[in-house]
Amino acid sequence: MKIVEETIGDVLVEIINVDRPSFSEAESLKSMISEKIDAGMNKIVVDLSACEFVDSTFLGVLVSTLRKVTKLDGDLRLVGFKPAVRAMFELTRLFRVFETYGDLKEAVGSFNK
Amino acid sequence: MTTGETGKSSGLILLVEDEANIAKLFHYNLTKAGFKCEVAVNGKEGFEKAEEIKPDLIISDIMMPEVDGIEFRKMLLKDSELKAIPFVFLTAKGEEDDILQGYELDIEDYIIKTSSPKIVITKVMAMLKSLEKERGKVVGEVQKAADNMGAKVVPDEFPNFDGYEIKHWHVPFKNIPGGDFIDYIKVDDDRMIVVLGDVMGKRWGAWYFAVAYAGYVRSAIRMVLETAQSLVPSEILKRVNDAVYRDERISEVFITLSVVVIDKTVNKVLYGGAGDLPIILRADDVASIKSKGLLLGFSKECPYTDHEINMQPGNELLLITDGIIESRNEAGQMLSQEGLINLIKGLSGDQNALDGIKNGFIEYTNNDFEDDVSLISVKCL
Repeated sequence: MKIVEETIGDVLVEIINVDRPSFSEAESLKSMISEKIDAGMNKIVVDLSACEFVDSTFLGVLVSTLRKVTKLDGDLRLVGFKPAVRAMFELTRLFRVFETYGDLKEAVGSFNK
Repeated sequence: MTTGETGKSSGLILLVEDEANIAKLFHYNLTKAGFKCEVAVNGKEGFEKAEEIKPDLIISDIMMPEVDGIEFRKMLLKDSELKAIPFVFLTAKGEEDDILQGYELDIEDYIIKTSSPKIVITKVMAMLKSLEKERGKVVGEVQKAADNMGAKVVPDEFPNFDGYEIKHWHVPFKNIPGGDFIDYIKVDDDRMIVVLGDVMGKRWGAWYFAVAYAGYVRSAIRMVLETAQSLVPSEILKRVNDAVYRDERISEVFITLSVVVIDKTVNKVLYGGAGDLPIILRADDVASIKSKGLLLGFSKECPYTDHEINMQPGNELLLITDGIIESRNEAGQMLSQEGLINLIKGLSGDQNALDGIKNGFIEYTNNDFEDDVSLISVKCL
């Protein structure tokens, strides 16, 4: 599966199992998360560990989802940064927008602190 | 996509066929004719490969283990992006049932496995040519409509501004207008504003918002000119952000923006940016200049800053969007910001950076771009 969805407690976890997620993955992720937000979930972790690179279309969906859940008092947190993904987030200053964590357990746990 | 200057064909074909000998034969003939050809052994692998390589055409056998051709076609039809890729079935003897079922699944055509290589290649070329023609016609019509509406997002001509040479290079992804936009606003003989924006997204969806954003940027500049004490990028960025943040219609769309204001009255060049890539100053050395602003539309309160740049005659300022640094070479390596800086450093002193980058970039990517590509050069004469 390109995107694996799990629920850990009240946290929705989306694991992106694609080297270079782009347009189609962005569309899939958007509709998967929207469904869960409509069902009342607002704590989300997106795991990018498998991604070598993410393009701006995919980043756009992460940012729009973040904005959507923060309005609902939730958050979207990220985990797993390979060098090119890190560089992209640094270049566009998106590290200032997202909370990021070293591993999935830490990211999920951060919602319960 | 079909026939290049060399007379050879081009285009990426995904062949899904479990019989190794037939796959080998088709692969040989297609490659010999100039196509790039990737092979998968069943529908499951074919689907994964299609997602990965986004071919121009898929040729698939019907009878295959695990996931057969019919099921494979149904999987593709459920995918918003992959369903549009032209699809051709390979049949054993042109059996009527297979052919009829295929057409019900919205295929372009079928090819009989035992056809001669010449017939197969001619058929593939004709199909790609007709699809390209059809696509070009549709794109042309929409572009014409957009032009009539005055909805151009990249100017046709470079601006005239004494003392400076301002030029751009813009290539929309797959020739479909996308999310990059360029604007030049000549305030008076002494002041010029250069704008490069990038809507997060690709093709028509992004283009639609690029038109909207370009309008916002123009009206923000007009407001700054009418009300603010000084014409500075930070004020323009702030006004655009205020406007787009409040606009619910574009609340899910974000944009990066680089703004350069050239003011000859005070002999200054000011730069401000929002989520944009660092701009590059080519002077005695080549250096990146990073803005601090966040992408537009995300946060209500976002401080934007101005960077003063001391431009001497011969110095060149380069504004870029991500399509430049994210494109890959044949080994899959991205050019990267560092690679771009090195490319510029390698240019000879008298060579215009825009032309040098353009040639270097085309060579690096083998002319196979992965996004809109935009580059603006502002040279002090």
